[in-house]
Amino acid sequence: MSKYKSVFKLLLFTAVLSGGSSCKKNFLDENLKTARNTDFYKTDAGILQLAVGTYYQVFDVPPNGEWYYCAANYGTDEFHIGGDPSNSPWNNYDQTFNSVVTAVNTNTAGANLQWDALYTGIGDANLLIANATASTSTSAAVKSTSLGEGYFMRAYCYLRLVSQYGGVPLQLTPVTTVQLAFTRATPQDVYASIIADLTKAQTLLPTTGGPYHITKDAASHYLAKALLSRASEINSSWNSSTVAADLAQVGTLCDQVIANHPLAADFASIWKFSGVNSANEQLPEILLSAQFTNDVNTNLSNGNTQHLYFVSRYDIQDQMARDLTGDRPFSRLATTYYDYDVYDLVNDSRFWKSFRTKSAINGASPTAPNVKGDLGIMFVVDQPGDTRFALSKICKSTTASLVQDVNGTGRNIPTTYVAYPNGRITDGALNTDLTTAGQSFPSLSKYIDGSRNSLNDVVGHRDFILARSAETYLMAAEAKVRLAKAGTGAYTDALPYINAVRTRAQFANGENRAAYYDGGNTLQSASLQSPGVGNSFYPGNSYYESNNIPVTTATSSLTIAGISPLPAQDEYIIGVLGLSDPYDRMLCLVLDERSRELMGEYHRWEDLSRTNTLVARAKAFNVDAAANVASKHNLRPIPQTFLDGIQQNGKALTPAQKTAMQNPGY
Amino acid sequence: MNKRLLRKNVVLLFLLVSFFSGHAQNFAVTGKVTDDSGAPLEGATVLEKGTKNSTLTKDGGVFRLSVLSGKAKLIISFVGHESQEIAVDDRANLMLSLKKSNDNLSDIVVVGYGAVKRSDVTGAVAGINQKDIRSRPVDNALTAMQGKVAGVDVGSNERPGTLPTINIRGVRSLTASNTPLFVVDGIPLISGGIDNINPGDIEAIDVLKDASATAIYGSRGANGVVIVTTKQGKNGKVTLGFNTSLTLDNIVDDEKMMNASDYISFRRWGYYYAGLNPTTGISTYPRGDQPDIAHDKTYFAATTDPTAWANIAKGWAGGTWDGSKVSTTDWFKIVKQQSVTSDNIVSVAGGTDKIKAYASFGYLNNKGTIKGQSYERYTARANIDFNASSWLNFGSNINISYSTQEYGQSTVGIATIGTPAGGLYESARALFSYAKPYDSAGNRILFPGGDNAVKNVVDEWKYNISERVNLRAFGSFYGQINAGAIIPALKGLRYRLNFGPDFSNFRDGTYIDANSVANGGSTSYASKVDSSTFSYTLDNLLYYDRTIGDHSIGVTLLASRTYYKMEMDSITGNGVPLSSQLWNALTSGTVTGALSTKSNLTEQQLLSYMGRLNYAFKDKYLLTVSAREDGSSVLSAGHKFSWFPSAALAWRISKEGFMKAAWVNDLKLRVGAGVTGNSAVQPYSTQGATTSLFYPFLSTNTAGSIPNAILANKKVGWEKTTQYNIGVDFHLFNSRVSGSADVYTSTTKDLLLSRSIPIVTGYTSTLDNIGETANKGVDISLTTVNIRQKNIIWSTTVSAAWQKDHIVKLSNGTQPDINNGWFPGQPLSVIYGYKAIGLWHTSDKGAIQAFNANGNAFTPGSIRIQDVNGDNKIDPNNDRQIIGWTRPRWILGMTNTVIYKEWELSFFLYSRLHYMYAYGGEVEAGRYFNRKINYYTENNPNAQFQKPIFNAGGAAGDSYYASLGYLKASFIKVRNVSLAYNFNKSVTRNWATNLRAYFQVQNPGMLYSQIKFLDMDVIGPTWNRGFTFGINASF
Repeated sequence: MSKYKSVFKLLLFTAVLSGGSSCKKNFLDENLKTARNTDFYKTDAGILQLAVGTYYQVFDVPPNGEWYYCAANYGTDEFHIGGDPSNSPWNNYDQTFNSVVTAVNTNTAGANLQWDALYTGIGDANLLIANATASTSTSAAVKSTSLGEGYFMRAYCYLRLVSQYGGVPLQLTPVTTVQLAFTRATPQDVYASIIADLTKAQTLLPTTGGPYHITKDAASHYLAKALLSRASEINSSWNSSTVAADLAQVGTLCDQVIANHPLAADFASIWKFSGVNSANEQLPEILLSAQFTNDVNTNLSNGNTQHLYFVSRYDIQDQMARDLTGDRPFSRLATTYYDYDVYDLVNDSRFWKSFRTKSAINGASPTAPNVKGDLGIMFVVDQPGDTRFALSKICKSTTASLVQDVNGTGRNIPTTYVAYPNGRITDGALNTDLTTAGQSFPSLSKYIDGSRNSLNDVVGHRDFILARSAETYLMAAEAKVRLAKAGTGAYTDALPYINAVRTRAQFANGENRAAYYDGGNTLQSASLQSPGVGNSFYPGNSYYESNNIPVTTATSSLTIAGISPLPAQDEYIIGVLGLSDPYDRMLCLVLDERSRELMGEYHRWEDLSRTNTLVARAKAFNVDAAANVASKHNLRPIPQTFLDGIQQNGKALTPAQKTAMQNPGY
Repeated sequence: MNKRLLRKNVVLLFLLVSFFSGHAQNFAVTGKVTDDSGAPLEGATVLEKGTKNSTLTKDGGVFRLSVLSGKAKLIISFVGHESQEIAVDDRANLMLSLKKSNDNLSDIVVVGYGAVKRSDVTGAVAGINQKDIRSRPVDNALTAMQGKVAGVDVGSNERPGTLPTINIRGVRSLTASNTPLFVVDGIPLISGGIDNINPGDIEAIDVLKDASATAIYGSRGANGVVIVTTKQGKNGKVTLGFNTSLTLDNIVDDEKMMNASDYISFRRWGYYYAGLNPTTGISTYPRGDQPDIAHDKTYFAATTDPTAWANIAKGWAGGTWDGSKVSTTDWFKIVKQQSVTSDNIVSVAGGTDKIKAYASFGYLNNKGTIKGQSYERYTARANIDFNASSWLNFGSNINISYSTQEYGQSTVGIATIGTPAGGLYESARALFSYAKPYDSAGNRILFPGGDNAVKNVVDEWKYNISERVNLRAFGSFYGQINAGAIIPALKGLRYRLNFGPDFSNFRDGTYIDANSVANGGSTSYASKVDSSTFSYTLDNLLYYDRTIGDHSIGVTLLASRTYYKMEMDSITGNGVPLSSQLWNALTSGTVTGALSTKSNLTEQQLLSYMGRLNYAFKDKYLLTVSAREDGSSVLSAGHKFSWFPSAALAWRISKEGFMKAAWVNDLKLRVGAGVTGNSAVQPYSTQGATTSLFYPFLSTNTAGSIPNAILANKKVGWEKTTQYNIGVDFHLFNSRVSGSADVYTSTTKDLLLSRSIPIVTGYTSTLDNIGETANKGVDISLTTVNIRQKNIIWSTTVSAAWQKDHIVKLSNGTQPDINNGWFPGQPLSVIYGYKAIGLWHTSDKGAIQAFNANGNAFTPGSIRIQDVNGDNKIDPNNDRQIIGWTRPRWILGMTNTVIYKEWELSFFLYSRLHYMYAYGGEVEAGRYFNRKINYYTENNPNAQFQKPIFNAGGAAGDSYYASLGYLKASFIKVRNVSLAYNFNKSVTRNWATNLRAYFQVQNPGMLYSQIKFLDMDVIGPTWNRGFTFGINASF
């Protein structure tokens, strides 16, 4: 019995203990031990970390997906649909391109992705600005640098938004409770906010630390960009009171930035990516770049994936295989014939330093006498009237005899593509004469990333250049053109700025014009290549095959002496576009020069949209967009998810209200 | 027809038996058989012991039988009653009364913190017993309930070791969980785990459906409660049980793919329409029915995969195209296999007055129908109850299970190219039927057909392994003190302490070789995820039960706390050098790529207080009132606690004098109401957590932080469901008709919603208590004994549930929330989009032009969309509409059982009716392989699907393709046919108390299905048809 008694006591004790402790209030406290909550952002350390986080959201998130090139490069004169039309709505402006972009497959970028990413960045920047402003810290890093970064990044996002959508909702404070009532601010108000933010950022940001950190000069560059944008055609219905002052300020700002950021001596050195964080990513010319490395800790997602989208389908060609140096060819963006027209292919080194025109045989079993490393694919970028090549594609299965590698081994080149075959004087042979339309084109090589871990790895490590001073020169040039139109100064005032970038683009004395390098040749270790596969990277371009001129190592000249005539390439484009007004001719020159210098650098759609030249240029040069592009496409459709999600006076919008809030025509 | 035939045979058999047994009898006995209330029993069997001489009682319970002598013994038996043996003792007239047996009304039903007799239940409670579980070979308890319990919808999952979904009385919550609470032997499982219980160890499963019953579990009862009671030792001799079964399964595919020739012309038409200029009517490619070899070479990547081209070239051998010469590869054959499942359990049970014990060991080995998939499980269970003294009881109950699931093809963590999602069989489905797995030299072709998004499935089961190992141990321990046995004044007072610890360890190892279909070309990938959970529930219970005269009172008081902790870690790496290393050598230095690691901790607590009063007057009027207060840690401070009251009243009408009719065995009316809660949101989701990251300033990784995309809401509280239920339980006509019917309505307020909010706020969504949903329904369970003759019994059990839910209001009244797909007044889950009304035809030229003038781009053969506002323009603001709801209105199950002597035949039908399913439609880009469809061409304008438009990216040419994928989805399926033989005791008397052998067919097929190419039971085209042989024995 005593045994039972003790058991009884034990049970009672347990009961009292457990019953008693159940009443403890703190039993239900939820302690988040593995992460901080947003109260952290009220501290100095939190503000500094939030600033870094906002860098990530604003700069690194966009180059991580497909919407970025859709919004910036597609549907312009520079690029059209390549071998894979996953995002064709963004280029073709067809019925699938609307406030809901019809998902043609899982890769299709939704109408809301850009909108969502930019507003997420704005939310972070708002939180950063509010906390840094409220902070009583005396640290300059908090009160000056972080705050300045907050203003800069908020303005950066709004500038992208206003450039894409026109007026957008202006949210300038952190949101802490659910808000559903939003209306679009006018473009005036959005620009005013951007310019105010950048002006504050200029005074707060440090002068050094670029291109990794945001500097005062980066703020000046973007302030100039915002002012130039406000002074552009798309805003002409309301900007008359600010145009003159804006353009004058653009000139001042650009001159300041240019003074601190000289151009690199060789255009190729900007793209000479030879490994993670190699020297090309730290040139003084670069004002600001989104930072990526190969450290997995920094790749919350896939790093910089833009290397995937510009490469043509080299891997499906005869005796070719996919490999690391050739990149993984998503083949979304194909060069247009405009790209072959706009460059002076003989004297301008930039085409040959921006595009990959040759690939080496790398398939496991080359057909004798060819061996791995022989020239496997060549793109001949010739001019109308060239009679040397019978067909636009010359390969074994065609009746024409194969093209030989006359400047190299002399052996046959398995596949040769020709921009203008014999008898073809109109554009488009590579686009329409082939059954594999759009799959084969010289690839823009600015983003190719051979430092990846395997041939299909999408994780890219290259920094993504957001701003460099060559663009600052061209913004200054554009401001001078616009001022001249308004009666201040002359059109020739623009030429020194344009000639500065053109001079740099000339072939130097003694330069091997056929030499070629791109980031694909950054193979970190031969063991990363697939077994049996060689390198498709080929250290040469088709300069001589294309231009059909004798070998020379003399200096070439690109200097523009006067405004009439302009260089032949520009006169050709002016002719195609049917321009005659001196201002239109000069603006055309500026836009052409922007192409030559900044080809595929994610500015083009916004440049064409703001200057109201999108429709004309897309019609003239973008075969897939030509039939559909219309003036409504100067602005993007407001995402349907936004229209469906907001309310007015506590009620969801009616179809009529949604239509009214949408940009016209969508 | 079957029914009539059966009846005829029965009558014939009966006559034969009577005829043969009519000889050589010399003592006539007459008698009357009644039940214990004195009501006559018609159809009871009266058997002369030791012979086959028998008869059935007639109207009024009377019988007449000639027996060998006045010393003969009779055995009288009747369904639902205990058999009785009686000696004739030379009496010519016998009066007999049979006691009702334990298998029904006096069944014990577990209702939460206690158990009551079925006749005393006041809420809507239904369940299945051991016999139901054993009637079908199942590897988990949920599948055993399928179609057997009205109002409980259990899905199907054909992957070995994966549990099906379960919903009780539909759904209420829009984004919080709709999964019911599982309670095993009194201890609520905090997360999953029902798959770790061997169905062979289960004594009964009771489902609490209405709020008056579930409110006892307060916070977690909103979605219903499933109470599992495991087998316990019984007083008496030791019994040994042995159940074994062997199942052979094969995969059946309802979806027919195109053969090589069909697909070749499909792609040709695709090119033709892709190149077709709508204005000129001229295409850059030849018509699909006018092929030429040069175009075929480019269409079918002749140079990329010469083997596939050689096959197509056979069709051109004669100079003109002959598609029948091209052979079709059966890719499915490569990935399927004969499935074998062996399920065994041995148990031993027994007990004395002082100790009762039960122990079992089970082993299940299930090889899947698809290569690489299998499931192996060991279960062990032991429970012991000590009657230490008249006032003290102890008990423990321990369940341990260890399982290994070979999941098969996984796409975890890998950038796939193409679309291998859906498992190995679906990867095989993507392969072109004209392509071959090996080239002429016998080498594996990596991309058969030459498309680098469509990889070969050969050897995939070696290249892609996901192995999930789960160890789980849980149990309950209790001590109970009967105070009345110590102090007589406290008679009826008991104190009980329940402690239920639960430990689990889970490991998921994944290895994806570079050659795997799921690998987009990366180097070999491996990951290892470990997680361990520990949780406990501690209940302090006080019971007081007294009967004073006609009044019975029961009081239950509870204080309970629950704690849950999960720790996880994972490691992932690329570049595993040896395939034999799998995920076991993820060490920097061994793998060539970088390793990424992660760990996490989650804790969650719950605190509860409950009181319940049961009151019965004359066993006729039954009342249950309960109130529970719950506090949950996952909700915001200040909103953690809430009250959940309930009340239920039952009236046993059959106990009233005026209902003392002979045909009413039992009749009970129940009315109940209650409030239950739901706090099923992720821990920490109200706290506004931040995400840490690194940003590299040049090569300096700098710590950064951004707020999560979810806006923190500091006011998140309980979601509450109020439910009213009226039900009736009945046993009529000598229990030949029995069952229950319930009508309920429920309203859920303060819905815990993850609602998307305009991104302009900087956030994509927030967690909030907003809106209201309503749900109503009817559950009917009905069992009828259609035939009850001497040697044959045919009974039918039907469970039918009808339910209809709708959203009453959302965050801002009755405004629709399109981004979330929520529409007040409409069902919770709807299809919202453009409604297809067929295809455009050449004869619609005028209408097409009208639409195209407004920005559409319709052509003959493209999908015609209903223009809701009639403005000749299809646009999202005006023309999207609600197409239908996606939850079935009706869920039906029907079991028919015919017992003839030792034979038992049953078949089980399962059905879901009146709903829609959006399967996705046909993309028809011609790049990827396609199922056999009736598609538009100029030769076939009256087709079901739009014209194919080739697209190298696999993109749909018709942007409205999804609209043709909204289909009505009702089905009736034969789930199971079973034939069993129960060995006569005379055969086995010396060595076994029970011996049963059976043969079953699982999923013979569909009786009716509105979607022919999908089995809507598994929601996919493929399902398993199985044959099972099994033996149940006890000794």
